[in-house]
Amino acid sequence: MQEDKIDNRRNITIVEILDRVLTKGVVISGDVVISVADIDLVYLGIRLMLSSVETIEQLRLQKIKDINSDNSAVNSSD
Amino acid sequence: MKNNLIYIYCLSDSSPELSRYAEFDGLKCDCFGGFFVIYKIVSEKDFSEESLKKNISDIAWLESNAREHIGVISRIMEHNTVIPFQFGTIYKSEEGLSNFIEKYSSSLTENINKVGGHEEWSVKIFCDRNVFKHQIEGLSKEVSALEIEIRRSSPGKAYLLERKKSELIETDIDRFTYIYSQNYYNLFLKHSELTQINNLLPKDQTGRKDDFILNAAFLVKKNSVFNFIQTADLLRKEKKLLGFDVIATGPWPPFSFISIKA
Repeated sequence: MQEDKIDNRRNITIVEILDRVLTKGVVISGDVVISVADIDLVYLGIRLMLSSVETIEQLRLQKIKDINSDNSAVNSSD
Repeated sequence: MKNNLIYIYCLSDSSPELSRYAEFDGLKCDCFGGFFVIYKIVSEKDFSEESLKKNISDIAWLESNAREHIGVISRIMEHNTVIPFQFGTIYKSEEGLSNFIEKYSSSLTENINKVGGHEEWSVKIFCDRNVFKHQIEGLSKEVSALEIEIRRSSPGKAYLLERKKSELIETDIDRFTYIYSQNYYNLFLKHSELTQINNLLPKDQTGRKDDFILNAAFLVKKNSVFNFIQTADLLRKEKKLLGFDVIATGPWPPFSFISIKA
């Protein structure tokens, strides 16, 4: 469990960090603070980012699949 | 544009030795009303109301600054009890900050006393439905009764009962994972003083394919941390084959247990 100690080297996801720093701790005390509406927009942005990463990954896997099936078609016709 | 805004990371009841934290540029500490405020001076270019609104929609900017925010507080709390501030809390003048501390002084002291000598730990539990569903027949009397009936039925009836069984399994997965998550939660509860159940984030935010079944924060006495971690280790190893992924992380700054009241 020692590797779970938080530091900047460990890959704690940004969602997990934002889950804390945007809505918890001492909130709404400054002259400038991030509003709840803006926080909602942040999560919308994160959602879009993660879904586009997933789409890219799916496209990448599909491409590998296509290449493999092309290769096996070439090999079987040899 | 001038650097003239005060960006607050956290405050403490004792003075931190800033020389320990040379990796963070521009870190400052001043005493306001008996509390030591850890801050940096930032420019309006990045942190005025309009700039902050624009910048937080830039995920790369937000990630880098949010990681720094939590990184600074995590380092300070290695040696001091801290009250963390929300990311992006800015004061335009020392007077505004001073007024806040004066107004909330007794609540700040209460919070320092509450989190002092404790660590915040997070426990997230995920469940892979495809793995867990293999347990359902043994757990659910209804599903095992249906299975017996299917074996005794004609092909046509068996087909319909199979569909009914699939639906029942899905419902029972939800029912049993809830029971399991509560049981695991109770194990962690034994080693903690306070707890907070957080929202279960949807899959498009966790980026995971398995179900998020428990998201909880625990305030754990420093001398109970070893037992808390052992519980997490044991559960992670023992329950992996059932389809559960138990993830404990910490110590986090005590974000989840701060409540400031006038």
